[in-house]
Amino acid sequence: MAAEQKATKEEVKMDLFEDDDEFEEFEINQDWVENEEQVKEVGLQWEDDWDDDDVSDDFSHQLRKELETISADKK
Amino acid sequence: MAYVSMGEAHRRITEYLNRFCGAVSYQDSPMLCRLLSFSSNSPSLLSLADALNVFQDASILIRQSDKFSEYGEILAHLFRSLQSYRFGNLVEAYLAFEKFANAFVQEFRNWESAWALEALYVVCYEIRILAEKADKELTSNGKSPEKLKAAGSLLMKVFGVLAGKGPKRVGALYVTCQLFKTYFKLGTVNLCRSVIRSIETARIFDYEEFPRRDKVTYMYYTGRLEVFNENFPAADTKLSYALQHCNPKRERNIRMILKYLIPVKLSLGIIPKDELLQKYNLHEYMNVVQALRKGDLRLLRHALQEHEDRFLRSGVYLVLEKLELQVYQRLMKKIYIIQKLSDPARAHQLKLEVIAKALRWLEIDMDLDEVECIMTILIYKNLVKGYLAHKSKVVVLSKQDPFPKLNGKPVGS
Repeated sequence: MAAEQKATKEEVKMDLFEDDDEFEEFEINQDWVENEEQVKEVGLQWEDDWDDDDVSDDFSHQLRKELETISADKK
Repeated sequence: MAYVSMGEAHRRITEYLNRFCGAVSYQDSPMLCRLLSFSSNSPSLLSLADALNVFQDASILIRQSDKFSEYGEILAHLFRSLQSYRFGNLVEAYLAFEKFANAFVQEFRNWESAWALEALYVVCYEIRILAEKADKELTSNGKSPEKLKAAGSLLMKVFGVLAGKGPKRVGALYVTCQLFKTYFKLGTVNLCRSVIRSIETARIFDYEEFPRRDKVTYMYYTGRLEVFNENFPAADTKLSYALQHCNPKRERNIRMILKYLIPVKLSLGIIPKDELLQKYNLHEYMNVVQALRKGDLRLLRHALQEHEDRFLRSGVYLVLEKLELQVYQRLMKKIYIIQKLSDPARAHQLKLEVIAKALRWLEIDMDLDEVECIMTILIYKNLVKGYLAHKSKVVVLSKQDPFPKLNGKPVGS
């Protein structure tokens, strides 16, 4: 019984201090200036056309070599 | 604790009482905020606490003047809380502050205009912080923590007070965010639902009226909830809003938003640029992004293992694990492109044993039946367009667009 209680307390402790990602408070009476720069910056942060046909990287070279050994085996 | 003479103590307490009553009379919200911010540990509050300790019974002073005794109950609880706080008796400090807060909220209801809204925010913030400290004290003494939960109840009460037709209603989103922080800390995020429903459906609220800083915080937390529920398009909208409108100087907050937004974007086939990961120190995602770019399943598994604890703690592990299918798609596409280089006529036929060989090279051991299974899933989820020729153990790819891009939509939608 005592062991169980201890275990639940451990659990409770864990839950109590959870959430490493608590958002920091903003100052109440201050607002910040939003500008075009900020909005533009977001657009420069992501890529959605990365899925290209380029196989010139190292990984692709090694993959190609690996696949060629199959055809070599077959011959 | 500094030595204070009786005379000096008397002076300090009276000065505070005058300031408090003056702030209320002249509707001086910034002044009132300063008088209530225990957590600021301002010299004036600390010296007041020392004075209270010397004077022992400040209620004599409060009763001396009608002006003061009008707020007698509020002030008595406030003073008791401050004294306990100064002594480090945080459970006592919380209990007295809770009484103060209840009395203050009653008074606040009677003030017709919304002049004291910021002071109310301070009360909400302070009670949450005090409750957290009180719970730490309780657990360190082997007792059950329950003050943060109690603070949550009080915050709900405050929410109810603000959920009316008057000008006070713009404060509801701030209180909501305090509730979110409370529930997330307690691990009772399901309780967020009712207050979200109020904010988003109650007719008295016009979401556009709320201050932007509260909207940013609101979108961050509701965005996180959407991630937990794997509603990626909704999570994208909310977290992106938070990112776009967050104060750009608050880099820690921006980093937190990105921590959740990046897995969401990846699930929608959009990748973050390296500069973004560098700037906000999100190195844990670098290998994940690389794995997706290259089609490197081994790298993905390695990346998930390396940062397993971190990803589990933030709750994004499962989201990242599911990226595996997209990495498979990329790998299949690479195999197809490589085949096209040497034998374009037959490139659209992917032999299962070729796929198996590539997988074995990436330290994934699968027999042909398992490979067939994976390919079936990819086709079913529209990551690969084609069909399985079971007898010849070949995947026949569609001649047109055999590897459809997600285009901002989650897999299989």
